[in-house]
Amino acid sequence: MSLELLAYPFLFIAIFFESFVLVTLLSKPAREARERAAANINGTSVLPSVAVIVPCWNEATTIGGTCDSLLALNYPKEKLEVILVNDGSTDDTRNAIARFAEHPQVRIIHKENGGKHTALNIGIAATHAEFVGCLDADSFVEPDALREIVPCFAETRVAAVTAAMSVHHPKNLLQHMQHVEYVLGIALRHAIASVNGLYVTPGPFSFYRHSVIKELGGFRYGHQTEDMEMALRIQHAGYSIENAPRARVYTKSPNTLLKLIKQRTRWTTGFLRNVTGEYRDLIGNHRYGALGMLMLPTGLLAIGSGILIFFLVLVEFVLHIINAFAIRTGIPLSYALVPHGSFSWFYFPTNYSLLLSIVTLGMLLSLIAIGKYVSKTPMNLKIGLISYMLLYGFIVPLWLMRATVDVTFGKYRDWRW
Amino acid sequence: MSLVTRNALIALGITIVLAGTIAYAINYLNRARINDLSTIENQLSIDTLSLETQFSLLEEAPCDSAASSTTLTGELADLGSRLSYAEDQLGSGNSQVVRLKEQYSLLEIRDYLITKQLAAACGTKPVTVLYFYSNAGDCSSCDKAGYALSYLRNTYPALRVYSFDYNLDLGALKTLITLLRVRDSLPAFVVNGKQSYGFTSLSDLEKKFPKGALASTTATN
Repeated sequence: MSLELLAYPFLFIAIFFESFVLVTLLSKPAREARERAAANINGTSVLPSVAVIVPCWNEATTIGGTCDSLLALNYPKEKLEVILVNDGSTDDTRNAIARFAEHPQVRIIHKENGGKHTALNIGIAATHAEFVGCLDADSFVEPDALREIVPCFAETRVAAVTAAMSVHHPKNLLQHMQHVEYVLGIALRHAIASVNGLYVTPGPFSFYRHSVIKELGGFRYGHQTEDMEMALRIQHAGYSIENAPRARVYTKSPNTLLKLIKQRTRWTTGFLRNVTGEYRDLIGNHRYGALGMLMLPTGLLAIGSGILIFFLVLVEFVLHIINAFAIRTGIPLSYALVPHGSFSWFYFPTNYSLLLSIVTLGMLLSLIAIGKYVSKTPMNLKIGLISYMLLYGFIVPLWLMRATVDVTFGKYRDWRW
Repeated sequence: MSLVTRNALIALGITIVLAGTIAYAINYLNRARINDLSTIENQLSIDTLSLETQFSLLEEAPCDSAASSTTLTGELADLGSRLSYAEDQLGSGNSQVVRLKEQYSLLEIRDYLITKQLAAACGTKPVTVLYFYSNAGDCSSCDKAGYALSYLRNTYPALRVYSFDYNLDLGALKTLITLLRVRDSLPAFVVNGKQSYGFTSLSDLEKKFPKGALASTTATN
């Protein structure tokens, strides 16, 4: 059997999933979400009280900017509270946040290091706000982000709302690739939220209904992914998670490959451990709709297929190189290194898996364009798009394999990057 | 029906339509390739027949028609490349590919014979290589040999290389193999009537050519 035959099922599934997302984006709930107006801060309606918790651990260099962006939010000051929780930082974070000590909207809590979930829980316990948000201390929000989020809580079944994340000032190629990935994530999150299929409420500017958080018992360690564990618990309890595609938040992204692999290994192991552990009854469970029947099975399959397709491509590529090298041995380089043959439609490759891959990439590109359009995310995507399309597929399997090995052998790693 | 189910069914429909469209497009392109090959073969067949007829009418070889024969050889090489690509795409067992290969082999044999006749009549000494290969998996060095011959043909345009699938079930080819006494030890080469077998390297292959043959073929062009 040809190796490429093994890739067919995964390519079909990829096209099916992308088609599902595109169709869902055109469906009524997604259209209504896009048409949803931001909260009017000058209107007569009473806006809810909101608290944003910023857990910090050794974030001295970024926490100031993060807090400044929160204080610049376009929201009534008496309704917005910022809680900075210093989770036992060993750097200059204490001094960095001290300048906000006298600010009427800011509350500062110092505690011993206990992990992000403990910092969040202390912050939640310290407020009576109707909605509590979380913002990683290396992230920055647009002034209107909160106004976009608040209306998403209109229905009482909504327990959480996620924002539209993108990379803060991408500098190198790796960060540009991540920026494209994040923009793609905006489209995916927007579509999947409209059928209540989200399984993560990311650290950068996700909001929760305070009463539900209390009912569910606060944040847990969640295998180093407390945001994923909380989202799964919310879904498990029958609540829904919404998305505000125009609530823009920018986050710092890893600037080296090693840091990126470390971050994504944590995310992937967290997904595998949470989903196949405490929340495995969600998988394939029709009671949980798109989450149970589509998102979680596809998420698990994507890990397996990412590794498999990577190896298939690698094996085919290596065999091709070996064969090409063997055939050219002894032939002068002036001939061997130059492509021969005419440029004619006759030689257009008609390999089935190649054409399926091109369709998959085409649909992916359209989703990225939709993500950029819907969220109105600034910045030029060209550098990122080319590198994302050409290189990202070879990087992703690195953390997929590492995470799979870690989960298989029960290995836990330090999550800081 | 829930929104998720409805969207999933639509997505499934789109997936099937896309996969089907790709399959149809591939089939369409492959058919167009076959038609393209047929057209080229038909034209070459007419050109060859014209050359043969011209040769017969004049009884003595019109030596200026050697140029026409050289052009035909070049076109044959291009047709061979296209046929080889079509074979890769459609498989060596494809009946249309087999038919086209048979026609191609006949064209090659006819061109080979005309070349010999012209050489005898006009006193030229072309270097001809008959190359026998196999796609049946029993010739590990055929790919290397084929590439080396492509290099030689590209470097020495006057070199006349004729490639034959040893296992092709074609009467004329079998007769040629019998007449030239080519064994089934592939790859096999017949350089100016002299047989040799196996391929190790380009330099070894070049040694199979008559002394100065490669240089002189370059010089004539």
